[in-house]
Amino acid sequence: MCAGRVKTARGTGDIVAFSESAVRNNAAVVEYCRTSMSALSGSTAGILGLTGFLGFGFYLFAVFGLWCLLLLKAGVRWEKYFTNRRTLLTNGFLGGLFTYILFWTFLYGMVHVY
Amino acid sequence: MAELLLDPDIRVWVFLPIVVITFLVGIVRHYVSILLATQKRAELQQLQDSQVMIRARLLRENGHYLPRSSFIMRRHFFNNEETGYFKTQKRAAVSQNPMTDPSMMTEMLKGNITTVLPMIIIGGWINWTFSGFVTTKVPFPLTLRFKPMLQRGIELVSLDAAWVSSASWYFLNVFGLRSIYTLVLGENNAADQSQHLQDQMSGAAMAMPPDPKVAFKAEWEALEICEHRWALENIEGVLVGNPSPAIEQAS
Repeated sequence: MCAGRVKTARGTGDIVAFSESAVRNNAAVVEYCRTSMSALSGSTAGILGLTGFLGFGFYLFAVFGLWCLLLLKAGVRWEKYFTNRRTLLTNGFLGGLFTYILFWTFLYGMVHVY
Repeated sequence: MAELLLDPDIRVWVFLPIVVITFLVGIVRHYVSILLATQKRAELQQLQDSQVMIRARLLRENGHYLPRSSFIMRRHFFNNEETGYFKTQKRAAVSQNPMTDPSMMTEMLKGNITTVLPMIIIGGWINWTFSGFVTTKVPFPLTLRFKPMLQRGIELVSLDAAWVSSASWYFLNVFGLRSIYTLVLGENNAADQSQHLQDQMSGAAMAMPPDPKVAFKAEWEALEICEHRWALENIEGVLVGNPSPAIEQAS
């Protein structure tokens, strides 16, 4: 990796230092998970033939499920890997939604329209 | 709205090929741009400048892990009025016009060849070959305003807005497959046009702001106003395990 930048945050009086490159790496891995999740859940929704709000609800469910799984994987000491739990949930929501809609439409068209 | 009955041959010969072609064209574009890319030769001077900038930034960000005297010494090296690096090094302003630089011109031409040309050719070909099909239906209701967006190439007033024409399906694919390319080809791929615009972030020594003079000035200023507060002030106390009065003072 490139020069490990270190940032500090002053929270409750103690200093937390973390490596910028490691944080970026973690974010990239999470982004991978998110894209895969969007594609797979989109395919699932398409094959199941969900329409309308049910499909969007399924996306929300998938995003939330991925968040829970990530937190489960990180365990109780999630501060070691992520700086913020909320951004882990909300980051890349719209980009994932586009992928989801594409796959949803694609497989819905393949299976149910014709 | 009555359900339309579409010929299953449309699925096999129009709907699926568009997805496959769009995806494969993206992959081909990635590899062609790798083939065409020339290794950018960095000049010694440029490399030196960018490394100095990186060092200065590191000092600014992590300086509070150093003792005060060390921090001031390092800042002195950069910022001293007579001998500081930022003060003594005089760089000529870079010519702003890329047209004067022939290598820049070829770079731009290559960029256009790998991004714009396939877009026009493949888009035109798809429009020409697969024009006028109703391919699929989006699984959620849409308002009428989406009609021109989703039904390019078929003008039917009474058709429900949820149906998608072949040309629009192609465009949906072009924009929607972006993150899939990231998944397949890795982070900084060339398959996607928008990624080109974002330059690579910090760390790379090649990434140098075009005008070193301005960059030096900015870094000098930032370093000058950087306030040193030693983060490890009470480290001995923390090590032996008694809570720190100094940090409580600081915060």
